[in-house]
Amino acid sequence: MAFKDLREFLKYLDKNGQLVTVNDQIDPEPDIAAIGRASVNLPEGPAVLMNKIKGYPYPVAINICGGWANHALMMELPKETTVRDQFFAMNERWDKLTPPTVLTNKKDAPCKENIITKDINLFDVMALHRINDQDGGYYISKAACITRDLNDPESTGKENIGTYRIQVKGKDLLGIQALGYHDIAIHLREAEKQNKPVPIAIALGNHPLVSYMAGTSIAYDESEYDYVGALQNGVPLEVIKAEESNLRVPAGSEAILEGYILPRQRGVEGPFGEFPGTYSGARLQVEIKVTTITHRNNPIFENLYVGIPWTEIDWLMGLNTCVATYREMKAQQPEVVAVNALYTHGAVTIISCKPRFGGYAKTVAFRALCSVNGRTNTKIVIVVDENIDPFNLEQVMWCLANRMAPENDVAIIKGAPGMPLDPSSEQAGISAKMIIDATTPVPPAKMPKEINILVPPVGYQQWEQTLAKMLKK
Amino acid sequence: MICPRCDSDTAHKLVDAPVNKAWEVFLCDTCFYSWRSTDPKELSDPKTYSKKFKIDVANIPKLAVIPPIPPLEKK
Ligand SMILES: [Zn+2]
Repeated sequence: MAFKDLREFLKYLDKNGQLVTVNDQIDPEPDIAAIGRASVNLPEGPAVLMNKIKGYPYPVAINICGGWANHALMMELPKETTVRDQFFAMNERWDKLTPPTVLTNKKDAPCKENIITKDINLFDVMALHRINDQDGGYYISKAACITRDLNDPESTGKENIGTYRIQVKGKDLLGIQALGYHDIAIHLREAEKQNKPVPIAIALGNHPLVSYMAGTSIAYDESEYDYVGALQNGVPLEVIKAEESNLRVPAGSEAILEGYILPRQRGVEGPFGEFPGTYSGARLQVEIKVTTITHRNNPIFENLYVGIPWTEIDWLMGLNTCVATYREMKAQQPEVVAVNALYTHGAVTIISCKPRFGGYAKTVAFRALCSVNGRTNTKIVIVVDENIDPFNLEQVMWCLANRMAPENDVAIIKGAPGMPLDPSSEQAGISAKMIIDATTPVPPAKMPKEINILVPPVGYQQWEQTLAKMLKK
Repeated sequence: MICPRCDSDTAHKLVDAPVNKAWEVFLCDTCFYSWRSTDPKELSDPKTYSKKFKIDVANIPKLAVIPPIPPLEKK
């Protein structure tokens, strides 16, 4: 691999013209968030490294995985790779699960360069900043939280790595959102039944694929680290044991916060500006006590700006959701060609498939709405023909405009599960689903009238290449 | 010190800036709101804090508990 941790990835981004370094002094608010917003607003926006934050000793990095160019580079693909090609590249690597290499010598693990066990003060180590005005405080929005199943503490498969929003509630106290359906909530429930603390390690400033997999829904007993190896095309990630537990932490991460979840205790957390582009309110949420910090020299605090989509989170919960849903569907419906679940965690999902018999598009949509992501997060499913690229919205709109009869091709199912943060749902967690069949009818269904589709002129593909070459000169 | 968000007298200075004491951060022990000395009045003054985002202390126990706390298992 061209990079094995965040620092090397920053260099790789720089080499590929995708990193901007700000050396002028900036304020924690509103400058860091404003730069976060600006970076994703730019076409193929860059990652940004901010070296001088007023009052803080260490730098901040933002928008590391945002934009399709950065996303492609994260998989070591050329930065111009189309979304469709990135989708198929990721799909091809998905099976190459590779367990991480466990380092034994701390000298080989940069995350152990400094070890703090006394007078913990998070503000000393990271440039905490407010992301959205009405956030309840300073949020750590792009951490990988590592926990294990107390009933099966040796299992590395059940070891979970997830990104959850974390509010700083004291020098050594954190609030964390563990929703019921998150894997960390399974670990917590078992521990709370027994009134036991859950050891946790929170990795910050990670290899981009660690952050990426921490945001991906995979099966409970699958290891996110093994998937990092898969997405690196079979190259294992380096990990090392945490100081206070048997948790495995990424060896090259900028900082690791170690501690435990306080059992049977909740405190006010929130609001926080969330990925649908709206605030989610204050609630009584889980708390974590930080007891040890290990960090690299001059640690970079990597954080996530969340705003009205698209922001970096839309890439972090993007193609991984598409690929996971695609694979789930493809196993039973080989006619599925590609799945685009890029919009607000798959709230809108577009599927291209070759209808096998009349009405088949509905069957495909039903399956999407039963998928791990789709059953809650998907609200609208659009099904298009197999020759349509679901990532090409001009083509999808052409299908909606010309293949879809509203009176016959739209179905609404009320009272289904929904995404709790959807501001348009009447009851949080309950939603209607809409299926739009924008495919060409196949027997026994038929088109209302005969159609004769246009065919591009002979030789156009060759001319495409020729013109592109001429344009480059 | 009065918390701008929940009006409790439970706010206090949490930290000074690690470099040059360039600012201070305050924290409320009741609603865990935190803010910086450099924040505008809308985020730091109880009188001008956004009404929409104020928290009524009486409502705190009624906030949703996430995730619910399971019953203790008897051994
Ligand atoms: Zn308060």
